[in-house]
Amino acid sequence: MAEYEVTIGLETHIQLNTITKAFCSCKADSWGDAPNTNICPVCSGLPGALPAANKAMVEKALILCLAMNADINMTSFFDRKNYLYADLPAGYQITQNDKPIGIGGYLDFQMDDGRPVRVRIDNLHMEEDAGKTRNEGDIRLIDMNRCGVPLVEMVTQPDMHSADEAATYLIKLRQLLRWLGISEANMEKAHLRCDANVSIRPKGQVKLGKKCEIKNINSIEAVRTAINYEIQRQIKEVEAGNEIEQWTIEWDNDALELRKMRSKETAADYRYFREPNLMPVVISEEFLQSVKEGMPELPLARQKRFETELGLPAYDASILTADRETSEFFEEAAKVYGEDNKRVSNWMMNEVLRIVNEKGIGVAELKITPSNLADIIRLVDKKTINTTTGKTLVDKVNDSGKDPAALVKELGLGLVSDDSIIREVCEKIVANSPKEKALYLGGKETLIGWFVGQVMREMRGKADPELAKTILESVLKAGEGN
Amino acid sequence: MSDLTSLTALEQAKLIREKQISAVELLDQTLEQVKRVDGRPGSLDFDHETEEDKHKVHAFIILTEEHAREKARSVDERIAKGKSVGALAGVPYSVKDVYCTKGIQTTAASKILSGWKPPYDSTVIEKMDQADAVMFGKVNLDEFTFGGSNETTAFKPTVRNPWNTDRVPGGSSGGSAAAVAANEGAISLGTDTGGSIREPAAFTGVVGLKPTYGRVSRYGVIPFASSMDSLGPLTRSVSDAALVLREIAGFDPRDSVTGKVSVDNYLEELKKGVKGMRIGISQDYMQITYMDDNGEYASAPIDPVLLAKMEKAISIYKELGAEIIEDIPMPNTKYSVPSYFVITRIEAYSNLQRYDGLKYGHSTSRPVTDMYDLYYKSRGEGFGYQTKLRLLTGLFASQEKFYEKYYGRAMRARGMLRNDFDNAFNPQGKYRLDVLLTPSTPSAAFPFGGATAKDSLKMQFADQFTSPMNFAGTPGVSFPCGLDNEGMPLGLQAAGYDYCESKILRAAYAFEQATIDEDWRKVKPMVLK
Repeated sequence: MAEYEVTIGLETHIQLNTITKAFCSCKADSWGDAPNTNICPVCSGLPGALPAANKAMVEKALILCLAMNADINMTSFFDRKNYLYADLPAGYQITQNDKPIGIGGYLDFQMDDGRPVRVRIDNLHMEEDAGKTRNEGDIRLIDMNRCGVPLVEMVTQPDMHSADEAATYLIKLRQLLRWLGISEANMEKAHLRCDANVSIRPKGQVKLGKKCEIKNINSIEAVRTAINYEIQRQIKEVEAGNEIEQWTIEWDNDALELRKMRSKETAADYRYFREPNLMPVVISEEFLQSVKEGMPELPLARQKRFETELGLPAYDASILTADRETSEFFEEAAKVYGEDNKRVSNWMMNEVLRIVNEKGIGVAELKITPSNLADIIRLVDKKTINTTTGKTLVDKVNDSGKDPAALVKELGLGLVSDDSIIREVCEKIVANSPKEKALYLGGKETLIGWFVGQVMREMRGKADPELAKTILESVLKAGEGN
Repeated sequence: MSDLTSLTALEQAKLIREKQISAVELLDQTLEQVKRVDGRPGSLDFDHETEEDKHKVHAFIILTEEHAREKARSVDERIAKGKSVGALAGVPYSVKDVYCTKGIQTTAASKILSGWKPPYDSTVIEKMDQADAVMFGKVNLDEFTFGGSNETTAFKPTVRNPWNTDRVPGGSSGGSAAAVAANEGAISLGTDTGGSIREPAAFTGVVGLKPTYGRVSRYGVIPFASSMDSLGPLTRSVSDAALVLREIAGFDPRDSVTGKVSVDNYLEELKKGVKGMRIGISQDYMQITYMDDNGEYASAPIDPVLLAKMEKAISIYKELGAEIIEDIPMPNTKYSVPSYFVITRIEAYSNLQRYDGLKYGHSTSRPVTDMYDLYYKSRGEGFGYQTKLRLLTGLFASQEKFYEKYYGRAMRARGMLRNDFDNAFNPQGKYRLDVLLTPSTPSAAFPFGGATAKDSLKMQFADQFTSPMNFAGTPGVSFPCGLDNEGMPLGLQAAGYDYCESKILRAAYAFEQATIDEDWRKVKPMVLK
């Protein structure tokens, strides 16, 4: 079997999280709304209605262009893409064809093994979404709530060479979109949709193979599976001596199979022309400047800075920059704490992110604040509480939203450093454990850990374990003479 | 009170405000006038034309009497109570049936929209309501405004010219022009994509104003070619056109192409006259240019009577102190018709895609095999011949492989034509025109069937002098200048620069006042005799 090189390009549709739709004042998000309840003459394409471009859409698209290192067209145009379908009520989609807002650019990211990948972008353009079609038996149902929702379509160059790279690109893109705050980027809710162009060629061949486009891949896992299926299908065809035909293929995620939709020969002519109802999108220098100034540090840059400036290991830096809130939480906590960033990173990854995962929430929804976390670590440092208590304190602070020090006081979580109380418990434990005492005195000194554990349990973790150990040793040895 | 329907809107509004007449009284007289001259309204259930039909105007598709009466009463009540009312308080007006009216059928004179009642009002309808004008009916037009004679309407009988009912009223705002000429309301609102206000205005002896593209909001008006559609009034006096424009003009956030340019007090501006104004004449607007069978540009003369009217207008303007600048070069005018054809067809085809028989209007009652069959049959039944022609030519010309050959080239020609206007009107340029004076049409109204008669260039090119302004986006007003040898009205056009409606209205007004006592103005349309 010959070796093949896989080439993949992705077309992503990104739903911008604007308040209103692209060209009217209906709210953009119809999640949970009854069908056809969030529409108006504009988005439902009634005769005479006219679009008016949403500035927030342009701003968010511009932010994405900047984040993708694209060249900005300071003057871009809206065009009509004409086709007849029931979920497109005007008979055309308003999009950007030959002069879109962004041209070129790239996204750099690392694969899990640290290998850097650069995926170049062909263009980014703004457009409106169509409605939703649902087939129920012989009946086709149309919901126009989604009509006019603002999207950015971003088309990559064919720069990916495995399903894994394509999936990672999407993961990184999703991270970036949320980071920038321009899209919820939830693939299950179709905020982020993906079509993949896949081709293979024998290794060493310069000319790209004929590509097939897979439509409708709506999760990261589906991207991985569908592309791998398609690669296998194409290899099988070629191995069988067949030509690859330029197909459009639909991915059925329930049946886990690829289904041919149409051949390239029947591809539509969209008859693009300028949308006469909208003025060109002119981005002023001032507007561009203000958007640039509002841009956050991007994930990869922050990850690098966490490594170089904050001295975190690459693994930590990667985990802590998985999303913007996490990175900001960490950085703020580290700043308040003021020393040993790695210690804060450990607490962040082990405790804070544990709660996030357990509860299935975002960092932004936590009640615990970065300075709460720094306070807790300090309480542990000062031995006001021990590490175990510190960990449960993170939960308690997050549940109550109360100040850590106040909670320690309120719940009596502070370490007992009063000798007499600890001594009393130690004596009780030793008295009740003659067998262990004998073994200990017989030379099995590691049993001291067991004794400390018993004391800690008795005192529900509030004893200073170092102090307990010293007292236990003295109690055990004191009885030696008996 | 004697006949109120022949008064201008300005006069009507004054009488109402001064409580000499009531709005209801005026409405009643207007409806009476409709009854007298209009005959049966345009309808989809039309069987055949009767002898009686041939002598009536048939401007209307629907009368909105209840709606109008309610509005007129509220105006009367407010005036009685001494409350303030709008500038057009109590003045009845009709509107071309492409303006969406909430809860009232809006047809675009097409079967495909039959039964559709829009859930919203167009911006201009809202503004007219705020001005307290009384909408009393919706008038006929060429289907989807596709035509210059009103013959393409699906609502028959078709509109006839009140001056001679054997002649077309022009179009596509033929219903508007005929209604105003026949004293069925002093104001009608039309639309103009290539001359659709100005041509019928000229054909029926009324004033028709096409404002600058972007001066009046298009929101809620069913489009023809969206990059050129303009809305404006048809009236019997220049003052009325000025009055209405002030009420309907202005920026509208719902129409992105409207300009944030202040609205003049056009009525006041009229008084400034034309003294010192620079009025241009261009030979490119004194002949018909067309493509002959070999695809070469050829030219033909316009009606000599019209030339004489031009001469007379020029001498009047000179007497009034205007400066006449001859031989203004508008060399790209000849590209107007072919490139206009391409761009309007492409935009029109796209604008027509929404009518699919699914969501509103006509849906086939024949059995269908699938969604596309439903589209096919509904559209086949719902669209008229001219609409289908435009759809097909639009579909043809918009093909991606022809983009450069047709659309791209037409857009460049459009730019060149726009340059002609920039050169002529640029205040720092060589010509510095205030107004370009042209005939509105190459001839007077033609007989029915004339627009499709092969030998009649004048009829085929009826919009030759008006469509360049739609292309350039600049304003133009057609005003009556006399009658031809057969007693049919002729019109001249004062064309201007962007947002300079005041200047063209001043020119039209100056001519109107200078000729107010001339004999031809005393001649009334046939249906009023």
